[in-house]
Amino acid sequence: MKELSTGKKTASIVCLIGGAALLAAALVLDITKSGAPYRGAFLVIGIIGILVGLFIFPTLKHHRTLMNIVFLFPLLFAFLVTVIIPLILGIRYSFTNWDGIRFTKEVGFENYAKMFQQPSFIWSILITFLFVVVNMIMVNLVAFLLALLCTSKIKGLGFFRASYFLPNLIGGIVLGYIWQFIFANVVTKLTTAVSGSRYSMLADTKTAFIAIIIVYVWQYAGYIMLIYITGLNTVPGDVLEAASIDGTTPSQTLFLIKIPMIAPTITICTFLTLTSAFKQFDVNLALTNGTGSVADFMGAYLTNGTEMLALNIYNTAVIKDNYALGEAKAVLFFIILAAVSILQVWVSNKKEVEL
Amino acid sequence: MKKKLIALILAGVMAVGLTACGGAAADAGAGAAADSGAAADSGAAADSGDAAAADSGDTAAAADAGSADAAGGIRLLNGKPEIDNQLQALAQKYKEETGANVTIETIGGDTSASDELKKMYQADNMPDIFVIEANQADTWDGMLVDFTGEAWTNDTDYALTHDTMGTIGFPYTVEATALAYNADVLEKAGIDPATLTTPAAWKSAAETLDSKKADLGLTAVFGWCAEPANLGWSSGTHVFGQYLDAGLKLDDKKYIDLLNDGGKIDEARMKKFAEFIGMMNQYSDPDLLVDGTYDNQVKGFAEGKYAFVTQGNWINGTVTSNASYSGFGMGFAPYAFEDGIDTIIAGPPSYWVAYSEGNTDAAKAFLQWVSDDSAQDILVNEAGLISPFKDCKFDAADPFYASIKSYMDAGKTSGWHTMLKKDGLQNVTCQVFADYAQGKLDADSFVSTMAQVCQTYYAEN
Repeated sequence: MKELSTGKKTASIVCLIGGAALLAAALVLDITKSGAPYRGAFLVIGIIGILVGLFIFPTLKHHRTLMNIVFLFPLLFAFLVTVIIPLILGIRYSFTNWDGIRFTKEVGFENYAKMFQQPSFIWSILITFLFVVVNMIMVNLVAFLLALLCTSKIKGLGFFRASYFLPNLIGGIVLGYIWQFIFANVVTKLTTAVSGSRYSMLADTKTAFIAIIIVYVWQYAGYIMLIYITGLNTVPGDVLEAASIDGTTPSQTLFLIKIPMIAPTITICTFLTLTSAFKQFDVNLALTNGTGSVADFMGAYLTNGTEMLALNIYNTAVIKDNYALGEAKAVLFFIILAAVSILQVWVSNKKEVEL
Repeated sequence: MKKKLIALILAGVMAVGLTACGGAAADAGAGAAADSGAAADSGAAADSGDAAAADSGDTAAAADAGSADAAGGIRLLNGKPEIDNQLQALAQKYKEETGANVTIETIGGDTSASDELKKMYQADNMPDIFVIEANQADTWDGMLVDFTGEAWTNDTDYALTHDTMGTIGFPYTVEATALAYNADVLEKAGIDPATLTTPAAWKSAAETLDSKKADLGLTAVFGWCAEPANLGWSSGTHVFGQYLDAGLKLDDKKYIDLLNDGGKIDEARMKKFAEFIGMMNQYSDPDLLVDGTYDNQVKGFAEGKYAFVTQGNWINGTVTSNASYSGFGMGFAPYAFEDGIDTIIAGPPSYWVAYSEGNTDAAKAFLQWVSDDSAQDILVNEAGLISPFKDCKFDAADPFYASIKSYMDAGKTSGWHTMLKKDGLQNVTCQVFADYAQGKLDADSFVSTMAQVCQTYYAEN
């Protein structure tokens, strides 16, 4: 800047002081719970005053930073309020006896110790891992086969693509209730004919678990299929043509050309299915609500045979009214998911370097 | 420089935009929360089995809470969507008679009401009167108004009392549960429901009915459903409640106290209860027993396919509005799993309580008014509730009313102490009922499993 005008400097300082005063007034009003209707306006005008003061302060050095902050503010604020603050509060509450209303004492690591002494929670962790592994394989397999089908030269391709994708557009809760009806009526007729048991798949823990997997694969495979289709379409036509001239069989084309060439897609899809299977909640809630008995697990009779981690956390906090314990479980859940995400980022970065 | 100016203006506009949003949110805080309450959950199958009756889509009062406060009015958080319209009428009447405002906010389903209350508490937006279930009183310890000395407390046996807070719960209705029967079917089969007070009488009645199924048009003797995922509240809370209270005096808390002392059960009593449930399993509709739904259960009863159904008087609306309902009479028979059990469970499933930092005087005045004639007229005759007040002069329109009244008059009602068990226990016990129904457990292992899950549940939570 050419010269530092004193006028500007004065204006800036006036703005700064005025802004700070208004801000302080607003905070005082808020803390004293006066309920004055103008305290919100005080707060915002105060902040604007400070910003304007900083901006017209006669040096250009910080203008860009200031502008960046101002423009990023809405996003950062939303992120802070909806993610960061709840995370910190959640971790904080996990060390207390919070019941959703208030807490009366600090309990240290008691909640953490408690959750690992619950056979039902250990069971939830185990079946969640089982669910994740089975789903990762099944969803990818089914989705890849569907993608192969939808990139071949059959008639009505658009129709098939759309109909495979359609289940993904239905919300999980709705889907759970629809399938509950199907399992309790249609499927039961079939299974009765086959196995002789007159009860539905949802009545027994093992079959109910399979039922959840079926619904989940049905819902999610169409979505993953779209990604595989995109991947398969990027395989260059000239490579395939050259291969066919060299006389490759279709299976050779698939295993030696197509699959290696879409390896990055497979990585992406694997992680997508991994994380989303971990977070499974809505279908679980609507389809079985976690019910199902386990006769003997770690010496206990369990009643939450199909209750996965997310649903266990929800039930602990909201249904059993044990919010602090639920928070402790949620912290563990966060650690698991964070580990998976970091692994994902690491693997993807490594792949990108290789490519 | 011009660019900077534009940037500054844009930033300013954005900031003003934020102000506007923020300001509006701050001012309308109360109203917005009321809205969210309204939006919350119309379909949830509530603990008291309201789901079917609820026409909750259009319920919900989102009146401006702020203005209600300003006028010295109060807000009431209601947990029964199916009586929302009647409560609105009640508030209207109260305004006509006294000039004071009452704003009704409705949330469907009991679970979500307690959950919503927690959010309201965190947001410093508590209603003056709200609904709780008996076992939730402890979480609000020290925050509820003691109604001791209010005139209405002398007119009812059903107020909720708490050890440290005194008389805190205003009963707004009485609900009853036992084995609901189809009087026409029993009459045709020559069974007098009044004799069903011993296990032997029940057994022979079930056998008689079972042998005449074809003549009577029955699918099964019992419409009993132990499906756990959606009907866990029925088996885990209501049917389990019969073990806790059947045959006991209204204020006898013997078995609930035992249960709340670390999840202990009386094995001898539980064994007899298990045998009774075993008989119900045996004579129940197998299609309903394991995989049924509330709708099918009540529908089957309404269509005359079951002689008995394991629900309470809240099914009356669904039954009488069924197209195939023949107009049969209904009543309750006790779960007589021991000789001489002749009581049904009756009491308020939930209560209205007043928040001690709210407008307590207005809340007390309103509740006193609700216990008097002009309000009882609306609650009994329009909302179809059964009045818990002795001086109420209206007879409920409920088809079960005559039967319930006869038990109440004879002093043969037991308490709803099942509502005092630990929150969420029903989700565990219902699974034991389901396994028993499927034949995975017999009566003995039912008892031992029940003992184990209760104990574990109390130890873990």
